Amino acid sequence: MSHVLQKKDFWAGVLYIAIGAAAFWIGRDYPMGTAGRMGAGYFPAILSVILMLIGLLSAARAIAQEGEAVGAIAWKPLALVVGSTALFGLLLPGAGLVVALIVLILVSAAASQHFRFEPKAAAGLILLVVFCTLVFVKALGVPMPLVGSWFGE
Amino acid sequence: MKALKLLSLAVLGMAISAPAFAAGYPEKPVTVVVPFPAGGASDMTARVTTQKMQESLGQPIVVENKPGANGSLGAGQVAKAKADGYTLIVGSIGVYAINPALYKSLPYDPAKDFDLLTVAVRTPNVLVANPNFPANNVKELVEHLKKNPDKVTFASSGAGSSDHLTAALFWQKTGTTGVHVPYKGGAPAITDLIGGHADVSFQNLGAVSNHIKAGKLKLLAVTAEKRNPTFPDAPTMKEAGVEGVEVYSWQAVAAPKGLPADVKGKLEQSLTSALNSPEVKGKFNDIGFEVVANTSGQFSEFLNQEITRWKTVVETGKITADQ
Amino acid sequence: METLSNLWLGLETALTFWNLAYCMVGVLLGTAIGVLPGLGPTATIAMLLPVTFGLPPVSALIMLAGIYYGAQYGGSTTAILVNLPGESSSVVTALDGYQMARQGKAGRALATAAIGSFFAGTVATVLLAVFAPPLADLALQFGPAEYFSLMVLGLVASVVLAHGSLLHAFGMIILGLILGLIGTDVNSGTTRYTFGFPEIADGINFVVVAMGVFGLGEIIGNLANESTRTVMAKTVTGLMPTKDDLKQMAAPVLRGTVLGSMLGILPGGGAMLASFAAYTLEKKVSKHPERFGKGAIEGVAGPESANNAGAQTSFIPMLTLGIPSNPVMALMIGAMIMQGIQPGPSVMTEQPVLFWGLIVSMWIGNLFLLVLNLPLIGLWVRMISVPYHFLYPAILVFCAIGVFSLNNATFDVYLMAIFGFLGYIFRKLDCEPAPMLLGFILGPMMEEHLRRTMLISKGDATVFLSRPISATMLVLALILLATVLAPAVRQKREEAFQEEA
Repeated sequence: MSHVLQKKDFWAGVLYIAIGAAAFWIGRDYPMGTAGRMGAGYFPAILSVILMLIGLLSAARAIAQEGEAVGAIAWKPLALVVGSTALFGLLLPGAGLVVALIVLILVSAAASQHFRFEPKAAAGLILLVVFCTLVFVKALGVPMPLVGSWFGE
Repeated sequence: MKALKLLSLAVLGMAISAPAFAAGYPEKPVTVVVPFPAGGASDMTARVTTQKMQESLGQPIVVENKPGANGSLGAGQVAKAKADGYTLIVGSIGVYAINPALYKSLPYDPAKDFDLLTVAVRTPNVLVANPNFPANNVKELVEHLKKNPDKVTFASSGAGSSDHLTAALFWQKTGTTGVHVPYKGGAPAITDLIGGHADVSFQNLGAVSNHIKAGKLKLLAVTAEKRNPTFPDAPTMKEAGVEGVEVYSWQAVAAPKGLPADVKGKLEQSLTSALNSPEVKGKFNDIGFEVVANTSGQFSEFLNQEITRWKTVVETGKITADQ
Repeated sequence: METLSNLWLGLETALTFWNLAYCMVGVLLGTAIGVLPGLGPTATIAMLLPVTFGLPPVSALIMLAGIYYGAQYGGSTTAILVNLPGESSSVVTALDGYQMARQGKAGRALATAAIGSFFAGTVATVLLAVFAPPLADLALQFGPAEYFSLMVLGLVASVVLAHGSLLHAFGMIILGLILGLIGTDVNSGTTRYTFGFPEIADGINFVVVAMGVFGLGEIIGNLANESTRTVMAKTVTGLMPTKDDLKQMAAPVLRGTVLGSMLGILPGGGAMLASFAAYTLEKKVSKHPERFGKGAIEGVAGPESANNAGAQTSFIPMLTLGIPSNPVMALMIGAMIMQGIQPGPSVMTEQPVLFWGLIVSMWIGNLFLLVLNLPLIGLWVRMISVPYHFLYPAILVFCAIGVFSLNNATFDVYLMAIFGFLGYIFRKLDCEPAPMLLGFILGPMMEEHLRRTMLISKGDATVFLSRPISATMLVLALILLATVLAPAVRQKREEAFQEEA
C-alpha cells in the first residue's frame, strides 16, 4: 500500500482545493447580486466552493481507501515540450517564423530518447519549415514574419 | 496535398495581387487592423473600402482581425504602432467614442493616440419590437413603460454596446425605465426578439431590415435625422415626440498619431476617392450603410461631441462595465 | 411535389461545372484545414472572405459551406490519428477513435467516421429540404430558459464521458466551468479572472485549451513512457470496417443522425452538444458500456454522425431566419451581406436558386468527402506509422502555428504551453480532460442563459418548470443523473476503473 502523500486521489484533491480556493479568493470582490439579478460573483462563488468540496472528498478518499501512487514525473519531456512551445511564442515576433520553428522542433525533439542528428531528421526539419512557410504564410496569409524584427526590416 | 497547395495559392493569389506602381509611400503592403472578428460591421467596412484603396495606393492592403475586449485590444496595439502609414485601424463608435466614455482605464486615448482620418460610413439604429408587443408606436411604448416601470425587456448586443447606451439615452430622454438584457452580440439578441423572449431593442438598421420586411419584427422608429427610404412609413424619433435620440452606428479610419504630412494626405485622398466611388457606395448602400467620408477635422470635432454625449449618458444612467 | 421541383432546381444549380469545382475546392480546403490541428474553419473562412467577393453568390456560399463541413470531417481525422481535437465536436471522437488507432484499427475508425458522416449528411440534407421552415420556427421556441435546461442536461451527460472515477468526472466538470468564467461577464461587462491581460478579456479560446490539454499532454505522456510501450500498434488490422463492424455501427449511426439533426437546429449552441449527446446516448444504451473509452466503434460512429448531421442542420436557422448558430455561420451571413443578399426569411422565396443550390451542393459535397477520403485512409494510416519521435515535433509545430492563427497572438501560444503542463498533471492524477472541456464550453453559456432567464422573469425561478420544453429537459437531466449515481452503475465504474489501471 502506498502512503497517502503518494496517492493520485490525494494530489487531485489538493489540486481541486488549490484552484477552488484561488478562484474564490480572486473572485471575492465580484458583486454577488441577488438570485433575480445575479452579479458577476454569483457563479464563481458557488463553483469554487463546490470544487473545494470535491477536493476534500477526493483527499478523504485517498486516506480511507487503497489507491494508486502518482509515480515519477517525467520532468525532461514535460520541461522540453512545454518550454519549446513557449520559446516558439517568444521567438516568433522577434526572430521570425523560420528560427522559431527550428528552435521548436529541435528543443522538443530533444525530449525523445531517439534524438540524434541524422540526415533523415535534418531533411524532415527542412521539409517541415518549407511546408509551413508555403502553406501558412504564403497561402493562408497568417501574419507571421518569416524573418523577425531583430534582424532588421 | 501538393495540388491543394497550388490550388489554395491560386485562390488566394487573386486577393493579394495588385499592380505596384506608386513611388514613395506605400512601398510595402499596408496592414489594416480591425479590432473585431471577421464578418462584423467594422470588418466589412474595412474589406470593402481597402479593396478599392489598393488600386490607388498600388500596394496590397491586408486586413488583420485583432478582436478582444470590446475592440480596445486591437486599438491599443495600433496606438502603439509606428506612425508610418503602414498600420491603420478601422473601428466602430464603440472603439472611438463609447469605450472612452465607459472605461476608466483604456490602453489608448482616441483623441491623443490617433491621427483621425475619416468617418467612413454610418447607419441609423432602429427601435424594433416583437410583433406581439402591445405598443405599436413610440408614444404607446412610452405610456406602456410609464405604467410598467422596470418590466419591459430591452435586448442589447452587450453591456456597454451602442444599442445598450441608446436604450439608456431613450430612458433618460423620456423619463422611463426598463430592464436591460445584454446578449453576446447582436444576432442572439435579434433571435430572442423574434422569438418573443425579449420585448424591444435598438438595432442597426441593416441587421434587422429583412426581419421587419418579413413581419417578424415591428418597426417603431428610426434614430436618424431623416426618415429612411427603405421604410418611409417609420417616423424618426423626433417626429415621434422624443428629442435628442439621434444615434448612428459609425465606422471610422485612423492611424497612430504623428503620420508624416504627405503620407496622411495620400491616405486621405485614397480613402475619400475609394469611399465615394460608385462601386463602393453601392455596396455599402446594399447593406444599409451610408457613406460619410468626411475630413479629419470634421471627424475630430464629431468625435468630441460623441464622447461628451455618451459620457453624460453613462454618468446619468450610472452605467458601469468596468472593474 | 414542390419539394421535388425545388430539388431539381437545386440540382441544376449545383451540377454546373463551376459550382461543382467550387464545391470540390471548398471540401478539399476544408479537409486540409480540418486535418491541420488548430487551424479551424472560422479562421480560414475569414481569410477567404475577400476572395469570394469576386465570385457569384451561389458559388461563394457553396465553397464556404464546403470548407465548413469539410473541416468538420478533417477534424475527426486528426482526433482519431493523434488525439488532437481541433473542434469542440471532435473531442468525443478522440475518446474512442484514438484508442482504436492505438490498437491498429485507425483505418476502420476513419472509415466508420466517413461512412457515418455521409449517411448523416444525406439524411440531414433531406430534412433541410423538406422541413426547413417549420424546424426554424421550432428553434424560436427556445428562449433563455430552454437553453439553460439544455445546458444542464448537457453537463449531466458529460459525466458519462468519463470512464474512470465519478468523483473526478464531477471535479473536472466544475474545473472546466471555472475556466469558462475567465473573460468578460456578458451580463455586467465585468472582467473576471483575467489578471489584467486584455488578451483573455473575451475568454480563453477552446482550441487553446484542447490543444494544450489533449495535444501537448498526450505528447508528454507518450514520451514519458517511450521506453516501456510503443505508441501505435505495429500491426494494422484492415483499413475497411468488417461486416461485424458495419452491423455494430448501423444503429449508432441512425441514432446519432436523429439526435444531431435535432440539436443542430438550435442556434444557441445546439450543434456543439450533438456529438457529446450522441456519445452519452450510445454509452447508455450499450450492453457493454465498459468498452467505451477503450476503442468502441459505437463511440466513433454515433458522435461522428451526430456531428455531421448537426453541422448540416445548423444551416436551417441561418438560411431561413438569418440567424447564425456559430461563428462560421456568422461569417457566411457576412459573406451573403457582402454579396448584396440580406439573409432572412425571404432568402428562400427571393433567392431560390441560391437556397436550393446550396442545399443540394451540401449533399454533393458529402459525396465528394466520402469518395475523396476513403482512398486517403491508407495514406493517413501510413502517416502515423512514421516513428513517433519524428511525428510529435511536427504535431507540435502545427499546434503552435494553429493556435497562433486564432487571434494572431503569441499570448495564445503561451497559454497552450500552460495547458500542456496542466494536461500532463491531469493525466498523472487520472483526471480525465474530456468532461472538463465540456464544462468549459457549456459553462459560460449556462451562466449567461440562467442569468438572462432570471432577469427576464424578474427573479422567478419557476419559469424553468412552467415552460414545457425546459421542464422536460430538466426531468431528463434528473433521470440521467439518477442512473449515473445509482450504486450498481457506480460499482461497474469502479470495476472499469480498476481494469484501466
